[in-house]
Amino acid sequence: MLAQTTTPEISALRAGDPAAFEQLFEANADRLYRLAYGLMRDSQAAEDVVQESFLAVVRGIGSFEGRSSLSTWLYRVAFNASIDRLRRRTEDPLPPDEPDEDLEGVRVPKTLVDWDLTPEQMLADAEVRQQIDQAIHALPPGQQAVFLLRDVEGLSTEEAAEALGLSITATKVRLHRARLQLRELLADYFHERHARRGKGA
Amino acid sequence: MNCQELITYLSDYIDRDLDEALHAEAQQHLATCHDCHVVLDTTQRTILLYHEAYRGGIPQERRSRLFDRLQRSLADRTDCP
Repeated sequence: MLAQTTTPEISALRAGDPAAFEQLFEANADRLYRLAYGLMRDSQAAEDVVQESFLAVVRGIGSFEGRSSLSTWLYRVAFNASIDRLRRRTEDPLPPDEPDEDLEGVRVPKTLVDWDLTPEQMLADAEVRQQIDQAIHALPPGQQAVFLLRDVEGLSTEEAAEALGLSITATKVRLHRARLQLRELLADYFHERHARRGKGA
Repeated sequence: MNCQELITYLSDYIDRDLDEALHAEAQQHLATCHDCHVVLDTTQRTILLYHEAYRGGIPQERRSRLFDRLQRSLADRTDCP
């Protein structure tokens, strides 16, 4: 069992120290926003989720047992709040989460051509940007969240697992599926784009 | 190691999470299998692409307003004496 710890940061937040809150905000606001925006693609909703997450954590700090870090707790609140909002959207239903069984069934990818654009060229292209957004939006939200926390935010497997309330195995399985599916969707797009431009030239 | 196994272990390979023997087997397969090499390369580029594309935070002006709103809400808290 992990030790329960009360850090100076937690004591200061419990005492209502504004500097401690500012520090917490500075260290986490953008990260939470990226997760919430990544999941919902709505800047206003993402901002609301960030606000809600900080309020929940600061108001609940009295009962915080320190088993995880404050960042992990904030991520968990932000993830749950984003998923709640997505569930309430009737016009854009959530893709279902897949069961987290092992990876025996992962298939060998189909589109096996090299990409001819550099990352800089890709990011400067509005059509590519749109494809990047569409591809991640096509994943079940549980996979999106793992991918965003691991590969965009750089959390460890253990941290991401804790933030999302998942086992280590489920976290790894979801990350692997997310990476392969995003690769496949982008590969299909680049392949199609290459063919289209070849014909048009 | 065959292609199916390589794909199964691909994320662990990228994350350097395989034991030494499996890592060596994967490397050996990648050295001779063009298709798997392309999958590895494009998967790594996918990760990099999202890492770069999703780097932004809250736009500065909105961030300041959000911080002010939060400070006001917290100053109004009623659960403290």
